Amino acid sequence: MGKLRLQNLTRGGKIRIGLLALALILPFFPFVTDYVLHIAILVLLYMILALGLNIVPGFNGLLDLGYVGFYGIGAYTSGLLTYHFGLSFWVIIPLAFMNGALWGILLGAPTLRLTGDYFAIVTFGFSELVVLFLTNEIWLTRGPLGLPGIDVVSIDLTLFGGPKWEFIGELPYYYLAIVMVLVTVFVMYRIQDSRLGRAWFAIRDDEVAAVSCGINLLAYKVIAFAISAAFGAVGGSFFARWVTFLSPDMFKFWESFLILCMIVLGGMGNIWGVMIGALVLVSLSEVLREILPLLGMPVNVRFLAFGLIMVLMMRFRPAGMMPIAAVAAQMRAGRVKRKKVKPAVGMKK
Amino acid sequence: MRNKRTFLFAGLVLGLALIFGITTGAMAGDIRIGVAAPFTGNLASYGDNIKAGVNLKLKEINDAGGINGQKVELVWGDDLCQPKDAGTVGAKFAADKSIVAVIGHLCSSATLAAMPIYVRAGLPALSPTSTNPTIGDVGKGWFFRNCYTDDFQGKYLANYVVPKLLGKNKVAIFYENNDYAIGLKDSFMAGAKAGGVNVTGVEAYMTGTTDFTPQLTKLLRDNPETIFLCGYHPEGALIAGQGRKLGFTGPLFGADGIDNEDYIKIGGKAADNTYCTVPFLAASASPAGKEFAEQYKKTYGRDVDWMSANAYDCLGILAQVIAKTGPDREKIRDGLAAIDSEANGYTGVTGLTYFDKKGDCSKPAFVKVVKDGKFVAAK
Amino acid sequence: MLLQQLVNGLTIGGIYAMIAVGYTMIYGVIQLINFAHGEIYMLGAFFAITFISFLGLPFYVAFLVAMACCAVCGVLLDIVAYRPLRQSPRLAALITAIGMSIFLQNLAMIIWGSRPKPFPHGALPAYFEKTAVTFGGVNLSWFHLFIFTITIVMMVGLNLIIKKTRWGKAMRAVAQNKTMAALTGINVNRVISYTFALAGALGGAAGIMVGAFYNSIFPTMGYVAGVKAFAAAVLGGIGSVPGAMLGGVVLGVAEALGAGYLSSLYRDGISYAVMIIVIILIPAGLFGKVLKETKKSM
Repeated sequence: MGKLRLQNLTRGGKIRIGLLALALILPFFPFVTDYVLHIAILVLLYMILALGLNIVPGFNGLLDLGYVGFYGIGAYTSGLLTYHFGLSFWVIIPLAFMNGALWGILLGAPTLRLTGDYFAIVTFGFSELVVLFLTNEIWLTRGPLGLPGIDVVSIDLTLFGGPKWEFIGELPYYYLAIVMVLVTVFVMYRIQDSRLGRAWFAIRDDEVAAVSCGINLLAYKVIAFAISAAFGAVGGSFFARWVTFLSPDMFKFWESFLILCMIVLGGMGNIWGVMIGALVLVSLSEVLREILPLLGMPVNVRFLAFGLIMVLMMRFRPAGMMPIAAVAAQMRAGRVKRKKVKPAVGMKK
Repeated sequence: MRNKRTFLFAGLVLGLALIFGITTGAMAGDIRIGVAAPFTGNLASYGDNIKAGVNLKLKEINDAGGINGQKVELVWGDDLCQPKDAGTVGAKFAADKSIVAVIGHLCSSATLAAMPIYVRAGLPALSPTSTNPTIGDVGKGWFFRNCYTDDFQGKYLANYVVPKLLGKNKVAIFYENNDYAIGLKDSFMAGAKAGGVNVTGVEAYMTGTTDFTPQLTKLLRDNPETIFLCGYHPEGALIAGQGRKLGFTGPLFGADGIDNEDYIKIGGKAADNTYCTVPFLAASASPAGKEFAEQYKKTYGRDVDWMSANAYDCLGILAQVIAKTGPDREKIRDGLAAIDSEANGYTGVTGLTYFDKKGDCSKPAFVKVVKDGKFVAAK
Repeated sequence: MLLQQLVNGLTIGGIYAMIAVGYTMIYGVIQLINFAHGEIYMLGAFFAITFISFLGLPFYVAFLVAMACCAVCGVLLDIVAYRPLRQSPRLAALITAIGMSIFLQNLAMIIWGSRPKPFPHGALPAYFEKTAVTFGGVNLSWFHLFIFTITIVMMVGLNLIIKKTRWGKAMRAVAQNKTMAALTGINVNRVISYTFALAGALGGAAGIMVGAFYNSIFPTMGYVAGVKAFAAAVLGGIGSVPGAMLGGVVLGVAEALGAGYLSSLYRDGISYAVMIIVIILIPAGLFGKVLKETKKSM
């Protein structure tokens, strides 16, 4: 990333470092209670999920409606492995990652050749089947009875003669979440700038041109889907070890929709946009939960608002609040009147 | 780009400030008790019952000057009967140090999700309606309930209601695939096996189903004498209607999940001849209970139900304990744990309440039946 | 029992068929999966009970008026949400459709409450409950017959409209090739609105019948029914109206038999599984043609 001196950073970079510093010392502010940390961890968790989902609609332009399926698979894998075998969280993370990727490949390989609409519906069906499976296979998942008593995360150095430190309360999870978000962002940036990322954007822009450059469409799409699923699973594993209770109805379609909302709002394909989208939506959700009863309005207004946001965003800002050039050019393809946006590849559309 | 970013940040800061402001805006001087239940969503009618019962007791307490001079304030937490929201509500209650106890949650799955948070924070929870037997284990001494558990209810249905009250022997079980119904079904089947009641068939359905005809057709093929509506009232009402349409004329029965006016409203004529067990029945209650039922009817214009009665007693129990121990979470927990035998039990509108080591209590069950579109006591 | 299950299946199947044709018609003309179609179905039921309860309209009148309202809703949906995005990439339109679906569901929850509502007492003709025909141990009530009749009448009617009328021809033309249709002087937007109106009316009718038959109406009833109907449309071949009808019936029967003989818990899963398998293995469904990927860089 070049020389990391303070002067060399762009304005955007300085803001980000500042935010990170703020986040690190947040728990020490006086008004920050465990509840605030709880919400903050929720925000960070959704950032990871949103970044994972971002790969598919953002980098690849496909609509994945079944993301919550991978989230659920990751959560239950982590929960069950912990519940039955007491595996350490640090072992589960790579396992979850690979499991998620595996399911991504299994689902993606036969379906990514389909057109966008069919792909969306198939992913939706997949996530519904996952929920049904989690609910009905009681012998495996305890179904609706839920899976309580999952161990908390702990750093166990007893093998080396050191202490065992368990994560009690919200604070350790908060820092763990920050670390996980940072790792995810780093990985996303590396991918975006790599050959993989550029191939994805090429596919998004024009499949025919991409193929004629020698890109194997299906392989790249499957890889994208697999990585997306892997991050969903990782988010799920964290979730399981944080709330220590799992139940199949935590993984309904609504979650997929919510995460999609975050990406749409923030700007598809834009890593920071997606994170801000997550932050705004989760905070908004909690704020509305508090305010709406005070205003005498039912909680449903919250969901209504999100639906409306989606519709309005697609109508007026389809590339999100913080769009990136490649996506913006493509999403506004039909609106010939807009001349401000430069097409990504330098060719007139 | 810059404008959008600043706009977003401004909105964020405002939003976060609001959250901080709201959570830390607690007023000193009041005794604050959290109440967690679904107040919106499709089980909102249950939440309404809890609200009604608790508010009635609240008025009584505050009109009498509060507890040791301090007024009681209720903090509502809408958990939508979902574990995830229950976790957030639980975190909020736990973090707000001015909340000294929680009445809730309503749904067993919500309670299961929130209890680890309460245990960690040391916040006692008293549930008027969570009947899942495993909560006591998760609660680790911080959980109490003044309703019976599904363990008891299922066995009561199998050993008393079916053979003795209904006089039937062949039962078809149709259960909802959720934590409440599965526990109920399991204990019923255990009781049936021990008591010699014949279970002719067992089918399951998902919450939210509206068409039960395939499963009902299958169950009716084995000629059961009665059908066990093992679930909540929205689906129960539909099952009753469709069962009747398919030609079933015998009695139906269920547990406390069926006890709701909506069952009759949606079931219509088909709801007649349905029995259900309830923890509280105005007709069979003590004089205090009957008085409560009348007052409830006067205030709210509808018949009292067991959830309201239990919630009313929950606040009553907490008030009595807090009067002795003061508004301190751990002391309240100890105070609740001290109600451990008939001698120091709490006498309320639902009868005598005292807790065992797991926080469970044993309460008698009553049976209601729907006759001509109304719930009446069954004899 | 088999006969009874078949009757069960045909009843459900007829309903799915009516919703499925709506999906398939709309997909035919604008190549969009109208996620909000299930909500129009739900609104039909709510409109009906509102008209009966508040305006005191008799059942049959309320039925027709509610159908008309749903037709209007369909058209509004198109004009407000989908028409502005006609030229946009598919992703945007899909997201809008989902957003509208969630919006309408919650709007209904706010207006009518989320608790299930029964069909107003005494609104239905009394003889509906009575048995009309009995054969093989199965009772068919007049209500059953009513549903079958309406379903068949509407399907036949729809087929006639599509095959014999000018509007129908215009619809088929737009479905085949929008640009060429426009060149022959067809007002494409008008035809699309007409399609939405038809789809809305049929979906609304299905909703009213379901609401009345099962006596339970709630805002999220469109969600699952919508997905299953879409599975039916896919099974029959998306874009083909006879296919959607057949797909609906087949899926309904499969569901009834599956729930009756196999596992009732995976009942909904049958639809999803059918949908996935059909899409992957035979994307054209039973009757459809494989639609060429429209080159919109997606």
